[in-house]
Amino acid sequence: MNGLVTLAAAAGEVKGGEAATFYLLAPIAVICAIGMVWARNAVHSALFLVVTMLCLGVFYVLQAGPFIGMVQIIVYTGAIMMLFLFVLMLVGRDASDSLIETLRGQRMTAVLLGLGFAGLVATGLYRALGNLDSVGLTQANSVHGGNVPGIAALLFTKYVFAFEVTSALLITAAVGAMILAHIEKRPDQKIAQPERMRARFAPDNYPGPKPGPGVFANSTSVATPAVLPDGTQSERSMSKILPQRELTAAEAAPKGTEHQ
Amino acid sequence: MDGYLGSYATLGITLLAGALVFVGAFSANRVLRPRRPSVSSGKFESYECGLDPVGGDWAQAQIRYYVYAYLYALFAVESVFLFPWAVIFDRPGFGGAAVVEMAIFVAVLALGLLYAWRKRVLRWA
Amino acid sequence: MTTDIAAETLKLPSLDYAALAPMLILFGVGCVGVLVEAIAPKKARFPVQLVLAVLGIAASLTAIVLAAGTEKVTAAGAVAVDGPGLFLQGSIAVLGLVALLLISERSLERGGAFVAQAAVTANSEADRDQATRGSGATEVYPLIIFSLGGMMLFAAANDLLTMFVALEVFSLPLYLLCAMARRRRLLSQEAALKYFLLGAFASAFFLFGIALVYGYAGRVDFAGIHAAVLDSPNDIALLYIGLAMVAIGLLFKAALAPFHVWTPDVYQGAPTPVTALMAACTKVAAFGGLLRVLYVAFERSQWDYRPVLGAIAVLTMLVGAVLAVTQTDIKRLLAYSSIANAGYVLVGVLAISKAGLASSLFYLVAYGFSVLAAFGIVTLVRDADGEATHLSRWAGLGRRSPLYATLFTFLLLAFAGIPLTSGFTAKFGVFAAAIEADQTWLVIAGVITSAIIAFPYLRVVVMMWLSEPGESTPAVSLPGALTAAAVTIGAAATLLLGIVPQPLLDMTENAAHFVR
Repeated sequence: MNGLVTLAAAAGEVKGGEAATFYLLAPIAVICAIGMVWARNAVHSALFLVVTMLCLGVFYVLQAGPFIGMVQIIVYTGAIMMLFLFVLMLVGRDASDSLIETLRGQRMTAVLLGLGFAGLVATGLYRALGNLDSVGLTQANSVHGGNVPGIAALLFTKYVFAFEVTSALLITAAVGAMILAHIEKRPDQKIAQPERMRARFAPDNYPGPKPGPGVFANSTSVATPAVLPDGTQSERSMSKILPQRELTAAEAAPKGTEHQ
Repeated sequence: MDGYLGSYATLGITLLAGALVFVGAFSANRVLRPRRPSVSSGKFESYECGLDPVGGDWAQAQIRYYVYAYLYALFAVESVFLFPWAVIFDRPGFGGAAVVEMAIFVAVLALGLLYAWRKRVLRWA
Repeated sequence: MTTDIAAETLKLPSLDYAALAPMLILFGVGCVGVLVEAIAPKKARFPVQLVLAVLGIAASLTAIVLAAGTEKVTAAGAVAVDGPGLFLQGSIAVLGLVALLLISERSLERGGAFVAQAAVTANSEADRDQATRGSGATEVYPLIIFSLGGMMLFAAANDLLTMFVALEVFSLPLYLLCAMARRRRLLSQEAALKYFLLGAFASAFFLFGIALVYGYAGRVDFAGIHAAVLDSPNDIALLYIGLAMVAIGLLFKAALAPFHVWTPDVYQGAPTPVTALMAACTKVAAFGGLLRVLYVAFERSQWDYRPVLGAIAVLTMLVGAVLAVTQTDIKRLLAYSSIANAGYVLVGVLAISKAGLASSLFYLVAYGFSVLAAFGIVTLVRDADGEATHLSRWAGLGRRSPLYATLFTFLLLAFAGIPLTSGFTAKFGVFAAAIEADQTWLVIAGVITSAIIAFPYLRVVVMMWLSEPGESTPAVSLPGALTAAAVTIGAAATLLLGIVPQPLLDMTENAAHFVR
């Protein structure tokens, strides 16, 4: 199987497989893209985005761009999505945008204008590209001996200046991420282990672990309900199966608090 | 199985087979296992030695993870450029130039890593 | 057969290092700046970075002067070195150097205008602590240098791909710098986020536009697009949509209506020296890119884009002028003024002629100097909480400190285009070029909006001179040597370009020829 023959087939001869894959994945991609915008939960949005990006990766491969397809999968669905999820975990899954509009009717206008714009561009592109066949794919993929060498030949000769400048972009981004996300401790803010231990066993400090938030336990029995900060007992803290065992009052009473 | 998409068809078929095995195993499980629907609500509770959790299960992550993830993304992007570089740098007469080009690129990125290291971003304490 | 291809030789395109030197020097200095951040002891960083940045920009400027007169396309067509390119690069270097003086000022406020650690939660105890003490982050220097390098590349990029990379290289540091104000941290972070999100959106449009133009022309270099505009067999709709989207990306950076909405918020929230940098240098770079795209790549579709961009110019001037009237914050007022001024530059650009090009170049430089001086004075008017930017606080400033009030009045008159200031010469130039090119409607709109926007300027002048200083009128701080130098240079340039504009006019006239 000669590499050139393989690529020569890319320019439109493999209609069957290409078409089938496209019509299988295109609806999935579109539905997941809509789902990404629609989903209330930010994590669901991110996962929808993963599916859309994977589909796009496959599309790139289908259109004789295996390198960009793989990059899409490795970098975008891999690294970039991981960043997205970390950001979501930073803000908290429950955090959702306030839906109060500061400008009245803004959202509706935005949706209408967005749809109008999309319609305009789509009809324009359909008119321009509707009955065009792709040309030059085979040549582009074979002239330097394949897709990856072809990209490499352009990247490292014709666009070498842009390529080197990209490194300036990447280092700016790295420095920026650290400026905005990393707090450098001053040397005098650092607390060493001996100080920590002394503080822990100092008088008036309880050395054990603190109770969990919202819980004030004065008994080790699981049958004792937790006390919420306002002093009421939280029934939710107890397993529902426990009351069915019908403990005696003495058994269920908080332990170690009796007056003797 | 030839043509440009032929090699990918193998991949597609493998993926499909994987999905089929997965679906098949779970369906078989569902069909073959005994079904005993529970009547008491207790079956779905935590066992008596455990407390039901109060509140949500979502904890905020440390921002450090983000910086690490970011550094990872940076070098993932770098590796994307390294792949095409690796296939052409043995072209006659191009080795020197290619090595210099990539050396500059990698050096600049390594500078970012040096900065992170000196700012103690890489130290987890 | 495969072996033949593997044996195919590749070789580096010829890089004219002398012509690329201005950018290469800045990128190199930026990297050294990051290295300094990594290894230099904390105390030494500020002086080292300052000297490094000044030397870097000066070296870059020298390289530009040495390259003067060059007309060639280098780096396999990626970079064009020609009159307008070198002139714009030179302006970016000079204006950047003046902005750097404002940025480095540390006597007005302990530790300078920048926050020490931008990651500290806004309004927390630690944040209040670091607002009053702690020297500002010195990472700003490599960021500014990278940004200036990106701007120079943007003004000289000769294909859309290089232009996109340059756009990102100069924008990303600006987003970061916006988030680093020492005071009013939340406002500053909001400004950075808005700028970043909208900027990313505009970049996406730009990129989509590149793809469509490539689809039409089959090339991304400007000469190739120029050739394809008439010859390409593809549907012209691709070209129109592509050009529109590329233009959206550029108009956003130049802050032209309706893509201007980020400007007031970002100008207000960003540290004032960074605002000055954005108002002066970013504008030069953005218009540099716009000029090259319109004059070199799409010159032959000028009949198609001229009416649309003309409408945008009119809208920009109107929006800038009318909304400036309602502003109560001096930084927002200057932001709307910068929007209106961008509209005037666009009038010059749309002449699509040698005179239009020369007058636009002149306008950009003249406005850059004035706006740097104006923001320099804004950094001086301050009270215990930092800068007092609300207009009511400026009432009676003329009695408190006549010198600065006079200077500011002079700069406002320059913005309004009163004779004997650079603003008049610049406006006269662009309007003359537009009339020559039969774009009289733009000039009429320009004159009307000039009259409207004179009103808010005069209101500030009246407020400064005719109101009694109240309890809340802040004193004008004694500027440090750096701010004093920056304000002096800016005001002197505004005056000189108003009285003896001829040397610069000749320079722009000689420079006004693009290489294709």
